[in-house]
Amino acid sequence: MKMRKPCKGRLVNVVLKNAKRWNGKSFELEREARLNACDGAETVEFDCNGALVMPALFGLGLDFMEPLRDDVYTFADGFEAMRKGGFYGGLYESAANPIDDADKFTAMVNRFKTEELGGKDFEIKFLGAYSKGFGTDGLAEMVELAEAGVAGFGDGNAAIPHSRFLRLAMEYGKMTGKRFFFQPMDRTLRHSGCVHEGAYSDMLGMKGIPRIAETIAAYTILETARFLQVPVHLKQVTCGETLDLVCRARKAGIDVTCDVGLYHLLLDDSCLETLDSAYHILPPIRSAADREALWQGVEDGTVNAISVSHTPVLRQDTVVNFEDSVPGALSLEVALPAIWNKLVERVGEARAIELFSTAPAHLAGADSAHDNVVVFAPDRPHVVVESDFAGHVCNSPLMGKELPSSILATYINGVWTAL
Amino acid sequence: MSALEIKHLFGLRGVSKHDIRLILDHAKQFREILERPVKKVPSLRGMTVVNLFFENSTRTRTSFELAEKRLSADTVNFASSNSSVKKGETLVDTLRNIEAMKIDIVVVRHKGTGVPKFLADNSNAIIVNAGDGAHEHPTQALLDMLTVEEKLGTLEGKNVTIIGDIRHSRVARSNLWGMTTMGAHVTLCGPSTLVPRNTDLMNHVTWEPDVKKAVANADAIIALRLQKERMDDALLPSMREYRNTFGITQELLDCAKDKVIIMHPGPINRGYGRSLPFGWRSQQ
Repeated sequence: MKMRKPCKGRLVNVVLKNAKRWNGKSFELEREARLNACDGAETVEFDCNGALVMPALFGLGLDFMEPLRDDVYTFADGFEAMRKGGFYGGLYESAANPIDDADKFTAMVNRFKTEELGGKDFEIKFLGAYSKGFGTDGLAEMVELAEAGVAGFGDGNAAIPHSRFLRLAMEYGKMTGKRFFFQPMDRTLRHSGCVHEGAYSDMLGMKGIPRIAETIAAYTILETARFLQVPVHLKQVTCGETLDLVCRARKAGIDVTCDVGLYHLLLDDSCLETLDSAYHILPPIRSAADREALWQGVEDGTVNAISVSHTPVLRQDTVVNFEDSVPGALSLEVALPAIWNKLVERVGEARAIELFSTAPAHLAGADSAHDNVVVFAPDRPHVVVESDFAGHVCNSPLMGKELPSSILATYINGVWTAL
Repeated sequence: MSALEIKHLFGLRGVSKHDIRLILDHAKQFREILERPVKKVPSLRGMTVVNLFFENSTRTRTSFELAEKRLSADTVNFASSNSSVKKGETLVDTLRNIEAMKIDIVVVRHKGTGVPKFLADNSNAIIVNAGDGAHEHPTQALLDMLTVEEKLGTLEGKNVTIIGDIRHSRVARSNLWGMTTMGAHVTLCGPSTLVPRNTDLMNHVTWEPDVKKAVANADAIIALRLQKERMDDALLPSMREYRNTFGITQELLDCAKDKVIIMHPGPINRGYGRSLPFGWRSQQ
């Protein structure tokens, strides 16, 4: 059993030596770089030995699942995960306790700001629900939620109950001027599917989720957005056909943004062959061709950002056979080391930082990273072990895998964390 | 005789020709035991086998139990309907409890794909899959293969046509992996809502929507029942249309080779899948 560490950190000033620091265009070697939290604070020196010092990241799709099981995973664990993974902020969507009225929003914000959790160190933005309780056909109190300060509206991964409600929710929410964040998934086409419908699902006799479950929902959302002139964001797009719809919608003048999930860029459905419930992720990991289409969308700019969709799942819900397991994966701690090299290879350093830091922050209406940084060794491999993860869960498909890179340290809001 | 390369029997996908040959040859030898007055040999003496059935089963469970007893194993039957599973015990807990009693082999049937592998990952026992979801049912397929070999001499170069609800059939999946490994070519035929949508990963397997063409070159036809318990959609307009289109009728058999064998794993949906008596059925 892992020991829970106190999340609240001590403010320090940092002197980074021999760091290749991001100057906004490229990494530039600096013999000495100072990061100051406050006057009079202790100073820590760290020799980077040529490691990269880049802006800290902003995570789309955070859900720490509190109240899930307080002894297993809490907000404090989520913040520790952010600190370990180099995230200075994130867009939070609460599936366990949907924020569907202003009181719940205030309670959630107050909980995040609780001193002992350490949440005030992070730039957390919240999505309010557009339906009462997620996935229902009753409207949430969107106007009051907007006035209270939500960044936009979304119902987590819950499917839209029906097109008429979609129209009404967007029509009502339009008054707020906020963006709607949708997970495009047609619930009837998904039915009881749990994996990508393709060669592997057919081979294994597992119920699949076809691509059209996503594209039909995406088309409905985009047409409704065009009709009502409401800005929308499509979360965790999994196939090229949906990206084509996004391109066409933009050409038609619709304000649409989209992201792709970390694991959808890293994995393809051949992983199902292992029947390991760690690969149970929704929306499903699709084929190698789909993954390549997503990478092309990342390259050509169709994709605005990469989301982490950080979802802790209780151990007892993962130590079961695939179909009976609860979907979801941890990603904050491993996202950057897992994907950085591939990302730089495909799109270069500037775009990689944009996809993981500035663009998601912009989508959430958050400030930029400023002096929050990650010290990162792109060529130092690291095998993922249980203690890499915060809390008492470790549901990640990367568990036991060797990542090509390592995070050496993070500096988030004046708190230095050496790993 | 050399040993099996596999420790567990999860399915027939990936099982080598050598191992399948070994199992079939052993099965032929054991068959002779059934003709003796004392139908028992000491092959599994001292071994304890648990039949762990999370789904209803009569034929498979009885077959396993009889085979275990005839091989002198100590057997324990576990049915989830009257176990602690009903009280919320997890699969792993159930396995660990049973394993603590020092069992050697677990025969498992479960609605979830991959449960046998999951149990093997979490125990030291030998796991035999008696059916997992719509994934595989390797022992039934081995029986089918044994039947084909007995009737046709070999599977090598033979054309086997599987007709019916293939999408939901674990027997069909095991058959197509095992039979293609042994050199047969498998043709799948059925309503497009009941066959796998994607056969890219299935070598030596083709889908033929026209049932007359599907049987024309077949040396063996396996007719599958409709897995009504696994159907949760509108997959067929009516049983009548299914029977008229895909039923094994004399008219259909007129399109097939004279010496074609017809098999059915049972249980039969009376009036749906067949209009003729079957030539042979796999015998457990």
